[in-house]
Amino acid sequence: MATVTMAPFRCMMCGHEYQEKVVAGEDVERSCPKCRSNSIRHLKAKKKPAA
Amino acid sequence: MTIRKKARYVDLDLCNSCGDCADVCPQVAPDEYQMGLSSRKAVYIPFPQAVPCSYILDMDTCLGNNPIACGKCADVCEKEAIDFDDADELVTREVGAIIVAIGLDVYDPTEMDEYGYTRYDNVITSMEFERLICAGGPTMGHFVRPSDQERPKRIGFIQCVGSRNPKIGRPYCSNICCMNTVKDTLLLADHYPDTENFVFYQDIRAFGKSFEDMFQRSKEAGTRYIRGLPGDIEEDPETGTLTVTVENTTSSGGLERHELDMVVLSVGVIPATDRDKIASLLTLSKTSDGFFMESHPKLKPVDAPTRGVYFAGFCESPKDIKDSVCQAGAASSRAGALLNAGEIKIEAITSIIDPELCSMCGLCANVCPYGAINWQKKEVATVIEAACAGCGACGATCTFGAITMRHFTDQQLIAQVRATLAEDPEEKVFVFACNWCSYAGGDMAGISRIQYPSTNRVVRTMCSARVSEEMVLEAFRCGAPVVLVSGCHYADCHYIDANRQTVKRVQKLWNKLEKAGVRPERLQLEWISAAEGQKFAKVMGQMEEKRILVTPDEIAHAREALKPKKKKVRPAKKKPVAAKEATA
Repeated sequence: MATVTMAPFRCMMCGHEYQEKVVAGEDVERSCPKCRSNSIRHLKAKKKPAA
Repeated sequence: MTIRKKARYVDLDLCNSCGDCADVCPQVAPDEYQMGLSSRKAVYIPFPQAVPCSYILDMDTCLGNNPIACGKCADVCEKEAIDFDDADELVTREVGAIIVAIGLDVYDPTEMDEYGYTRYDNVITSMEFERLICAGGPTMGHFVRPSDQERPKRIGFIQCVGSRNPKIGRPYCSNICCMNTVKDTLLLADHYPDTENFVFYQDIRAFGKSFEDMFQRSKEAGTRYIRGLPGDIEEDPETGTLTVTVENTTSSGGLERHELDMVVLSVGVIPATDRDKIASLLTLSKTSDGFFMESHPKLKPVDAPTRGVYFAGFCESPKDIKDSVCQAGAASSRAGALLNAGEIKIEAITSIIDPELCSMCGLCANVCPYGAINWQKKEVATVIEAACAGCGACGATCTFGAITMRHFTDQQLIAQVRATLAEDPEEKVFVFACNWCSYAGGDMAGISRIQYPSTNRVVRTMCSARVSEEMVLEAFRCGAPVVLVSGCHYADCHYIDANRQTVKRVQKLWNKLEKAGVRPERLQLEWISAAEGQKFAKVMGQMEEKRILVTPDEIAHAREALKPKKKKVRPAKKKPVAAKEATA
């Protein structure tokens, strides 16, 4: 079974930030759900602050 | 090419297909050809008219040959054709072309629980229907329903089971199911005129030659076509009768219930499940539907992106027999033309590797979509020029300057960047466009007379993967306010999947720019196809809006912050002093 995770993305064209499914090994063309631009930056998940 | 020839355990030259072996064989298995509706022996002929028409021994079903547990087939065979010592054979052939014709698989509708396939005996697939109505089938052509072996009088066909359904991940049309159902209703009307046939559909796609005529004949023969796909099927456990609930969208009646003796699920087709192995062997790419992608949908519809490989049939897209035969003919002609050419002309745009500069890291071999770079650990990489298609992904990946991409060298492209931005760079939108799609998209915008800002300056590369980090950084160093890297959409990449390297590189560049204090939004990435003149114009407009927002200070900062750092020169390692000298 492929690993599915939610990852944060940012549209570099309109600045819209959103979460999207990422399936390990999947090869998909990404576009912004708001402006349809392909300038999609995969943001690194923010580390949780130490307790 | 190495081919595994599987063992048959029956000598082809000796077997005369008398069938004595099958008569005495005690082992029985479901007959795959009859869709499991009848059985076969462990020694069997796969299907009628098989070529060669000879028996084969299924070792998974056979009681075993090591030690021989039964051996009845060998005892009864007068020709002594049974050979339990037979083994798989590896055959090596030198080939000049390969035609991929691996066919298809059929969708398994078990997951669509609302139709009750495998729960209800009288819900069958179109493939099972095919066997039941066939004179060579398990019932010798006597059409009976599985629950009670009685002839069904009211039969319903449900279309698009596993096709045109994004919910189950199969959004494409399977192409053949509509006409297959039309043919089945005509067969039923011909064989059993007293049957009532119902077809539940969302569209009937009868677009081939004479297909519309066939569809009309089916309607004239009494088949009732109801537009709407059933939401539920219920079975009467005593009679096996099925009640189908459907919303008829062509009448004002709304919800309808039909009592049927049998339901046939017109199942869609899916790409062959073992296609990934072939894709990996021949470096083929796939569309989002999972079918193999052709080199060009209009100009090279039977060619694979890998040279010398051609497609025939379903492996490329769903198609009927006629189209498959046409494609097979075209593929064999293309292969024949290649084999008879004697000499092959290749594009001059290929990579060459300087062995002096190669660091033997192997990155170039990893990114080459064609497997055109030979590399072994601790060995200098070499390019197989006949296989290189000239995308330039290797040249952009090599940070040691060891790879020269003929006609699109680093020096040539950097010179273009510098020349373009030599005057008034702050007034320009700098664009890298791939030859096949984005550049052609710009042409399309032009010939369509679509208006867009005139500030863009385009540098063409064969593929967006040719655009190296250094080229983008050089544009910023030369004062470009914004830079756009554009290429083909994923499904259209002319170099299999080279543009995935572009994505990785742009992601890296965004991080790099941010680290250097340059707004990453100044670098954009877009996929623009040759037909998307509108999108090209729209993106140019958006880039212009971004350009206006970039301040002179930002441009000046980028010039400084992105200056190439001087490479640290490692001090030469001292040679170890010889033991004798040391003691002396």
